[in-house]
Amino acid sequence: MLEIANVRAGYGAINILWDVSISVPTGQLTTIIGPNGAGKTTLLRAIMGLVPLSQGSIRLNGEPLDGSSTWSMLERGVAMIPEGRMIFKDMTIEENLMLGAFPKAQRASAQANCEKAYAMFPRLSERRTQLAGTLSGGEAQMLAMARGLMSDPKLLIIDEPSLGLAPVVVNELFEILARLKAEGRTIVLVEQNTHKAVGVADHVHLMQSGKVVLSKPAAEVSLEALHELYFAH
Amino acid sequence: MSELILQALYSGVLQGGSYALIALGLALVFGTMKVINLAHGELVLLAAYMAYTVESRLGLSPMFAIPVALVLVCITAVLVYFLVSLIRKDRELNSLILTYGIGIILTNAVLLIWSADVRSTSSSWMQDALVFGPFYSMRSEVLFFVVSVALMGGLWWWLSKSWYGRAVRAVSSNRDAAKLMGINPRSTEIVSFIVAGILASFAGVAIFSYGVIQPAFGHVLTVKAFIITVLAGIGSIPGVMVGALLLGIAEALTVTLASSALQELVGMSLFLLVLFVMPNGLFGAAGRRG
Ligand SMILES: Nc1ncnc2c1ncn2[C@@H]1O[C@H](COP(=O)(O)OP(=O)(O)OP(=O)(O)O)[C@@H](O)[C@H]1O
Ligand SMILES: [Mg+2]
Repeated sequence: MLEIANVRAGYGAINILWDVSISVPTGQLTTIIGPNGAGKTTLLRAIMGLVPLSQGSIRLNGEPLDGSSTWSMLERGVAMIPEGRMIFKDMTIEENLMLGAFPKAQRASAQANCEKAYAMFPRLSERRTQLAGTLSGGEAQMLAMARGLMSDPKLLIIDEPSLGLAPVVVNELFEILARLKAEGRTIVLVEQNTHKAVGVADHVHLMQSGKVVLSKPAAEVSLEALHELYFAH
Repeated sequence: MSELILQALYSGVLQGGSYALIALGLALVFGTMKVINLAHGELVLLAAYMAYTVESRLGLSPMFAIPVALVLVCITAVLVYFLVSLIRKDRELNSLILTYGIGIILTNAVLLIWSADVRSTSSSWMQDALVFGPFYSMRSEVLFFVVSVALMGGLWWWLSKSWYGRAVRAVSSNRDAAKLMGINPRSTEIVSFIVAGILASFAGVAIFSYGVIQPAFGHVLTVKAFIITVLAGIGSIPGVMVGALLLGIAEALTVTLASSALQELVGMSLFLLVLFVMPNGLFGAAGRRG
């Protein structure tokens, strides 16, 4: 579904990604793991057009994405649930959700998708008119997930959803990920929680210092070998 | 004495309506584009002079100037937007100089076309006294206060219920997140300039209908709007409304109790006081963005 080939990208004069190539197959969950500062978020931002490529290409269903704007990605069926959640704190839960369906083509089904989101995340339903800034960390992550699903995306890109959450909430979150996968969505998941991420994934990519150092089907990955690579520098 | 104070409070509240319209425009543009439009007061001034022209040339009520003012002011606002968007580097800082320059050009254009004379309405319908119990005002003050309240209600509805209004708030709050929602921030920037232009048009016609105008007045209005936005705490829309009322009341009290020569000073004092005592403004949370 998504083909990332020889991508170089960075911020201004600083290059971060060095010839990254990753292939994301349709209907499967691909996880990208790696230590802090490896460039995982930068790669996801490059996919969404928030960081420009200086080399290489990213193709979605065979079509090159180069130069297409971030705001056209939802219409192409790609949604990102960003690192740090990025919910709109001074807006209500419901307003946050509705913004997830902003593209014109999505507006007609916005109300129905909103109800679906409430069914999936009942705790949000009780708090519809509450300001998003008052939510707990776990609830805020659920809101970010729900908002990302409002456009019913084919490809869902999720950046460190479990960051800073209690173990119970992390379990809940991975159950939801498994459910989204079962719905047939293609998912790219960046995670620090290697154990859980590899558990739910079909494909695993390990990034270090802006490079992909390992790409394997999840079934063939041994966590010990992974940890050794992870901490090797 | 207490009657005088009550009267000053009443006049201040009425005046606060127009101030709120002006300051809301400044705050909206700052929200989406992070640009302080120092030519904003001149947009209001243009509308005020359109009202003067319609009244003095065509002999019509200043109210009839509103459609013309809307067109002229919104076109000017969009022009300001395009000039500002041409700035590639350090936009937040460089736009200050650019918009300040645009303000000077507009003031001089007004001076050239309408001369430096002080103008005010000669419509007796506008100036007729309207008395509610102990409160006295001109009819135009009450009329435009009602118009301001209606416009603010409309703005509130638009920002909270419409797709584009919500998009404007989203961009103000987190630009990258808004892009991920499929929002093109540039179009919300243009929209916020247009809405600011609409509010400025009404405010300009209002100010001509109950006050006096002169070419240098645009600059004074920009400063007032800026003071109100800081009073409010940047990014707080309800805060802007309260801040506008506060400034209106403070000015009216100063004129009543001290001297009209001090009217412009009181805003500045209020501004400094808030900066020192409550640096986040009356309604801004610490570290709040947008
Ligand atoms: N806006 C920016 N400007 C300059 N450098 C940046 C910027 N954002 C990130 N970087 C740098 O890019 C490198 C990669 O950062 P990135 O956020 O992609 O890492 P990451 O793998 O997502 O890390 P983490 O697991 O901590 O989220 C880091 O060295 C970081 O300092
Ligand atoms: Mg990251």
